[in-house]
Amino acid sequence: MTWAIKITNFFFGSLLLLLQFNAAGQSYIGKDVKITLFSTTPVEDIRAVSVRGTAVLIAKTREIVVQVPIRTFEFDRRLMQEHFNENYMESDQYPLAKFKGTIDQGIDFTKDGTYSVTVNGTLSMHGVDKIRAITGKVSIENGEIRILTAFKVPCADHKIKIPTLIMTKVAEVISITLDGKLNQIK
Amino acid sequence: MKKISLLTIPLFFSLMAAHAQQADSLLNVLNSGLIKPEVEAVFKSTRVVLSHSSETQKKHDLDMRIRHHFGDIGGKFGSAHTLYGLDVASDLFIGFDYGITDDLTVGIGRSKQDELYNFSGKYKLLKQRTDGKMPVNLTLFAQMGWIAREPFSQTEFTTYSNRFSYFLQSIISRKFSSRFSLEVMPALLMRKNTAESRDPQNLFSLGFAGRMKLTRRLSFIADYTLVNGLSRPNDLSQVYYNPLGVGLEIETGGHIFSLNFMNSEYILENNFISNTKKSWKDGGIRFGFTISRNFTLFKSKNKDPDKTSKIY
Repeated sequence: MTWAIKITNFFFGSLLLLLQFNAAGQSYIGKDVKITLFSTTPVEDIRAVSVRGTAVLIAKTREIVVQVPIRTFEFDRRLMQEHFNENYMESDQYPLAKFKGTIDQGIDFTKDGTYSVTVNGTLSMHGVDKIRAITGKVSIENGEIRILTAFKVPCADHKIKIPTLIMTKVAEVISITLDGKLNQIK
Repeated sequence: MKKISLLTIPLFFSLMAAHAQQADSLLNVLNSGLIKPEVEAVFKSTRVVLSHSSETQKKHDLDMRIRHHFGDIGGKFGSAHTLYGLDVASDLFIGFDYGITDDLTVGIGRSKQDELYNFSGKYKLLKQRTDGKMPVNLTLFAQMGWIAREPFSQTEFTTYSNRFSYFLQSIISRKFSSRFSLEVMPALLMRKNTAESRDPQNLFSLGFAGRMKLTRRLSFIADYTLVNGLSRPNDLSQVYYNPLGVGLEIETGGHIFSLNFMNSEYILENNFISNTKKSWKDGGIRFGFTISRNFTLFKSKNKDPDKTSKIY
């Protein structure tokens, strides 16, 4: 029977390889997606940034997922960062923010070009899932995909409470920008 | 052939599943290792009720702390005649703590009792991690006390060094969950100014403290320091008690208010560990509060426009 096992192993092994190759050919990943937060009130502007976002794009299904660990956001002041994690995002319990959606139009990812797109999907943050349509840009240059978007997240949508005492310092709607480069899995 | 099919069917299924879950599984591979293992904010403030917590000031942050201990709520010195102790100020404290780095804090302060000045250093040596490499935090704390008042008797400060006391403490803490933290604090207090000759100049103590978060901004805090029965004889002519404090801590982003009830008259370690003469039993419980305000002294040198904050 050993010859049979050998043949099947070879057969399934190459099938596996093919499938992987096939799947890899359709997938793009980005490891250092930059995400910024901006809160503005007449009293105070607060900015924070993370360059540790990750993104996956499946070309065939036009599915896109972006994820960022909350604790990778950096603030000017360390105490602010601690409050962000402890009081607002509760990052011990909810360590990740994630957006998973589908691009609304067909794009040939092998051809250079820039597309304005809407991505319909779910934004998961602070334990709350919210269905969102987020507009952005997808540009392709030499096989590298760049995704750019700016959108606003109302704190109340994700059950992030801002006490009335802090209301003058932290905005009720936070502006978010995202800029990331994705490369084909080889 | 049965063996082969048994082997390959699950493989095939897992392959298909992998295909369907591809985006998520790829993401998980990318994200592994990105979540920081260091545990943050074991306690909210650098103090619990009476004792220090394992927290230090953040780099370049200055904490101004004003504390007040009122008089006895009940007993001979309390009740309605002193408005349950509110007429009496048993101790007042104003102090500043400055973070040289995130892990090293220096402090200076002055309390009313004995006109006691304090100079302290606090260093966070070990940090708890979620990846199991370090289960606890270890913070070292040292404080010098200097009694500035006039001597009560001619013999009290015959040598000037009798005015000084030294306090060394190691604080071992652990954040058990996002809501619950505990710490143990073995300490040594070295002093010369003792009321009785039988009262040892080197006093060992063992403190316990905890925080329980009730809401995101409100915590229940408590601490207890075991002094009697360690190195101190139990039959001194002056009866001393172990300090026990409970309180509520309210954090409002930069400000921390703490409402406390404790049996100790005093605020600084160099005083409350050695001199607590009131008991929770006979109305010796008193009310106190702490106001702590955090200031950022130097604008950070970071020029990154993505993380600049601006106060108008």
